[in-house]
Amino acid sequence: MRVAVLVKQVPATENVKIDETTGTMIREGVEAELNPLDLHAVEEAVRLKERFEGTEVVVISMGPPQAKKAVKAAIAMGCDRGVLLSDRKFAGSDTLATARTLAAGLVHEGGFDLALSGERATDGETGQVGPAVGRILDMSALTFVSEVESVGAGTIVVRRAVEGGHERVEAPLPAMLSVVKEINVPRLCTLGGKIRAKKAEIPVVGAAELTIPEEHLGLAGSPTKVVRVSYPQITRKGKKLSASDDLDTALDAIRGLLADRGAV
Amino acid sequence: MSGAFFGNTDALRERYNTITPEILAELKAAVGAKNVVAGDPDALESYASDEAGIMFTSMPDAVVKAENTEHVSAVMQLASKYKIPVTPRGAGSGLAGAAVPLCGGIVLSMEKMNRILEIDAINRVAVVEPGVVTNELCKAVAEHGFLYAGYPMSTETSFIAGNVATNAGGGKVIRYGNTRRHILGLEVVIPSGTVLNLGGRIRKDTWGYSLMQLIIGSEGTLGVVTKVIVNLEPKPGKTVNLLAAFPDLDSAVDSVAKVIRTGIPVISCELLDKISVNITTKHVNTPLPYQDKADAFLLIQIEGDSEERLEDGYEKVGNLCLQNGALEVFVAESRTESTAIWNIRQNLAEAMRAYDPYCSLSGDMVVPLSAVPEMVEEIRKAAKERGIAVGILGHIADGNLHPIIFKPESMEPMEWAEYAETFYDDLTSVALRLGGVGSGEHGIGYVKMPIFLHSKTDEELEIMRGIKRSFDPQGILNPGKLLGN
Repeated sequence: MRVAVLVKQVPATENVKIDETTGTMIREGVEAELNPLDLHAVEEAVRLKERFEGTEVVVISMGPPQAKKAVKAAIAMGCDRGVLLSDRKFAGSDTLATARTLAAGLVHEGGFDLALSGERATDGETGQVGPAVGRILDMSALTFVSEVESVGAGTIVVRRAVEGGHERVEAPLPAMLSVVKEINVPRLCTLGGKIRAKKAEIPVVGAAELTIPEEHLGLAGSPTKVVRVSYPQITRKGKKLSASDDLDTALDAIRGLLADRGAV
Repeated sequence: MSGAFFGNTDALRERYNTITPEILAELKAAVGAKNVVAGDPDALESYASDEAGIMFTSMPDAVVKAENTEHVSAVMQLASKYKIPVTPRGAGSGLAGAAVPLCGGIVLSMEKMNRILEIDAINRVAVVEPGVVTNELCKAVAEHGFLYAGYPMSTETSFIAGNVATNAGGGKVIRYGNTRRHILGLEVVIPSGTVLNLGGRIRKDTWGYSLMQLIIGSEGTLGVVTKVIVNLEPKPGKTVNLLAAFPDLDSAVDSVAKVIRTGIPVISCELLDKISVNITTKHVNTPLPYQDKADAFLLIQIEGDSEERLEDGYEKVGNLCLQNGALEVFVAESRTESTAIWNIRQNLAEAMRAYDPYCSLSGDMVVPLSAVPEMVEEIRKAAKERGIAVGILGHIADGNLHPIIFKPESMEPMEWAEYAETFYDDLTSVALRLGGVGSGEHGIGYVKMPIFLHSKTDEELEIMRGIKRSFDPQGILNPGKLLGN
């Protein structure tokens, strides 16, 4: 079986800052790391490799040259090899252009029975790229996967986390899975894995090597436009009542407030 | 408060006056009624104990939430005038009972004095109020490119002045030293109400006896800290965390000495034994690899000024552990991986308490590194002889061990509290024989007082008592702690 894991390098911060004039993320001066939610996809892929003999796991990322580090982090966890799709022409890609580029990358690497991604990236927060890649390549696109029950005979059975419970889905292969973090606990990298990843060559694949029309690439191929950046207002209209001086008055006030809202 | 070990505090209480309605009114007039809690047992209860445990509880008669130095001074003047005991309180995260108001009276809480007043880049200092949570300080100075290097394991909860009061240690002492090393100046209110300004934004001072150094580690028995000037370090380079699983404790200890001798900058070196790892990983729902086979884990954080040096560093340290018998070495480089590993260490105390609410976390002995294997062996032997379960963790490179013991089901909580401390007394005697001390960072409070007094010579104690009398002639500040009365 051939398994691909799609990963993204993201800023290692809880507070992504946005440049309000360009509408893009400020990445300067922020440490980067492998998208924490992608760790679960990498872990699941490595577990599939351990489950099914002869499975090859290839990690694929699109990003600037320094994103090689994210690819290596996935190799350190047990992926067999990795590829970085990197080209100035990819710059400014939205989720559609990114999905098209990654899909072309999967084709370039010879096609796969299964592809996995994290639920979403912690910077863009869209969750669109994984399933979009699946649709572009006419794979079964399975989102919010919380368990891979079985793979074989041209089909896959997974559990999906849906509102109010779980859904058990059987779908034909090839399939593209975006996994939720409940699916597993990602393993820690061993020293041996780190050293293996350090030595691994990560080939860089550019636009010229991919079969993809120029107009689908980068900013030009991105229909998404950031028109305006605004921040949600966090307002709490709380009222503090003190019961230390006169409990009855405070209780009356609470009864009044609840009555006003029709709660009692 | 009861139990023979802790003594009857009635005799001690008799030395002080109680808070009359008139005194309470005076107190409210001085600091504002909204800053005084009295007569409400539910509200007072939160100030009756600290992390020494629920067995050690003593209710205050009033709690004052000071807003500024003037409030603190006014409280101390009133307390001096009427001879009311005052127990200063930070976050209540101490493990030795120093914040428990043994004789009732006033608990003076610093929770409202929680502002970072200034970050001074030229002098590399931050000026803060006593109730700033240590981690908040760390985050604030990090945004200015600095490191506050104090790092108690309670960093998410403890207040900076609590760190000063206990001379807190923690996970980075091997690299940066304990809290004492990071304090440059203190504003302190002494029992008379007088405000002392000690030290400053300077790093050299041969200018008489250092009263500031006396205040650090005095556990609220000499004065109330109302402002702190802390030293800031330049932000360190990148760090990597290694987790090494060892089949036995001896090979782990042996590795520590060798790792430090490599000269690779080690920021932290934490020991976790099998029992503590099992309980904590269950609590945080993150199983560790090799957790069933390993008897001890080392959590090592190293620093490097470039990626290459860091890689070189972790390979060397990791290989050294493997050569020394480690079953496996894991490397956490990214923020997410590192958080996953440190989460286990930082949630240890909470996990232990969830597992056994009566477990005793107050073991804190320090021995020379060379004596750590013998100390560990003695801890395990003593626990086995008594038939009690013990988990051992510690800041191993400092020789600072925290044995954690669990209450046998058959024992009553009060009996257990006493039993646990006598157990630690015995272990402290071993630590003293090996050239160590009974507490490296938690302090004496009153939990460790009997063995502390027993371990010091009369001459030393008399000098200490003289110091206490100079600051606090009436003995109103945190009575029954450290030296007793």
